[in-house]
Amino acid sequence: MAPSTARSSLSARFGRSFVTLILIATLVFLSLPVVLTFVSSFAAEWVGPLPSGFLTFGNWNDVITGTDVGADVSVGSSLLYSAGLALGGVIINICVGVPIAYAIARYEFPGRDWVNVFAILPLAPGIILGIAFLRTYPDLSTSGIALVIGYSLLKSPYMVMAVQSSFQSMDLRRIEESSRSLGASWIRTFLTVIVPNAKEGIIAGSIISWTLAAAEFNFSYIVYSRGTPPLSIFLYNNITNASFLNAAAAVSVFFLLIALVTIALQIVGNQAAIRRL
Amino acid sequence: MSVDIDSVTGPLGRLRGVTKSVIWPRSERHRERRRIVGLCLPFLILLLFSGVVPLAEMFRISFSEARLVTEGFTLQYYEQLLVDPYYRTVAFNTLWFALATTITSIAIAVPVAHALAKYELPGESVILTILSFPNSLPGIVAAFMIIVLFGNTGLITNVIAAFSGQSAIDLAIATSVGGLFLAYLYSMVPRALLLLRGTYAEVNTDAEEAARSLGATPFETFRYVTLPQIKPGLIGAFVLVFRTALAIFGTILILKSLLVWTLQIDREIAQGFNIAQASAMATVWFVFVFTFTLLALRYTSAEVSL
Repeated sequence: MAPSTARSSLSARFGRSFVTLILIATLVFLSLPVVLTFVSSFAAEWVGPLPSGFLTFGNWNDVITGTDVGADVSVGSSLLYSAGLALGGVIINICVGVPIAYAIARYEFPGRDWVNVFAILPLAPGIILGIAFLRTYPDLSTSGIALVIGYSLLKSPYMVMAVQSSFQSMDLRRIEESSRSLGASWIRTFLTVIVPNAKEGIIAGSIISWTLAAAEFNFSYIVYSRGTPPLSIFLYNNITNASFLNAAAAVSVFFLLIALVTIALQIVGNQAAIRRL
Repeated sequence: MSVDIDSVTGPLGRLRGVTKSVIWPRSERHRERRRIVGLCLPFLILLLFSGVVPLAEMFRISFSEARLVTEGFTLQYYEQLLVDPYYRTVAFNTLWFALATTITSIAIAVPVAHALAKYELPGESVILTILSFPNSLPGIVAAFMIIVLFGNTGLITNVIAAFSGQSAIDLAIATSVGGLFLAYLYSMVPRALLLLRGTYAEVNTDAEEAARSLGATPFETFRYVTLPQIKPGLIGAFVLVFRTALAIFGTILILKSLLVWTLQIDREIAQGFNIAQASAMATVWFVFVFTFTLLALRYTSAEVSL
């Protein structure tokens, strides 16, 4: 018994503290810069270890109204433009994501696992897809349509997964059979019974894929050519060209957006979706 | 949703008969088949037009002799990638950096997932929100977060400077390879954690308790009871996080401290619009990652649970 105790002492005595320490360090590493950015966006200057000159709205004012340096357009127009593009992507995602999630959840068919892999694993990341779009759809990129269809492909896995998690808690076969036996056609069953039952997953998936599309940088950076910059390009221009505190304010706008979306997801009540975001 | 690749069978047989029965269904089985095709069709159309067609065009451009139109056939851009030591360095940088950041993120995510699953933590929902928040941040914001902490005016830089008496400029690591490493971790640890928490949720706690009560130390319990159970999840997380690491672009565009494949693709476009070379590089990237994922799913016990 004695040697075992001696050997065990190390992990028994320090294991838990060690693991807790890593958890705390990770939490600080992930949250501290977010808090600092948000706080410093209200500061007049940051030369020492901490920002100073509170409380000013100058940085926010520059971001919201737009200056000629760095943030040459206001955040409002970029935000609206990205919101619209991302919404287009979400509409496509609902049309493609809900049916395929149902096919995978409800039916057994040859190649089902491969269809699932393609539905939940992004085919190519933003930068590769961006290069591929450059010459394939050169005319579409200025109008934003290229961005919409690119976003919808890049973010469709999130929709499929959110809807699948809704379907998993339903006895799809029984629901479908009772509806059919009451005389509804299959298409009517799908549209008026199955889809409304998966409402929660569809809403959660829409919110997630909308946010991630609005935040997509790599694809937008390659494909975007001129006109109103999408939100992520606006952030990039601020980070690279504007003063540090202006950039902090621009990034804070984005944080607020994510915070709102998180709250919206909490209201919808899809815990799995919140974790995935 | 987990994927068991072994059960996949060749779907190519009897294609004609299937097509016929899909268009003119004559039995309930045929009608069901038509429904499955109909349900999958919208996604396949999207995949075709926004994925397959552009990628095929990119593939074609990478062999193009002319610069502004796609014509002719040349292997010069691939030859360039093989012969030029510059590209070899870029490839080497990309691979070792992605591998190192992947291993580190998983090494951090395992104890964090462990703590979340096993310990009673105060304010667990707040902790979960903090840990998942970076998943929705683009890479450029992750880079900015590192500048906030480790840049010239960064908080940690200045705290260390105040204690050591060195100048903050010398201590700032945000735009060094070390800073880039931390920026990668900022995006990758939450991603790894998301995947590993799903795995941890399925661990059989009875076996762990039995091991503990039979005298195993906490570490032995983890090593011999928990680890074998989370192994498929670990391999799956490794595959997905490695893919994420290879795809990172915005972060490196801001910090610029290491020339990796994605940054070089952008440089080919930005400096003289050498789209053929960029396409060749993107094609190599795509083929490498696609093959790597397929092989990993096929030949390891990897469980892709998202």
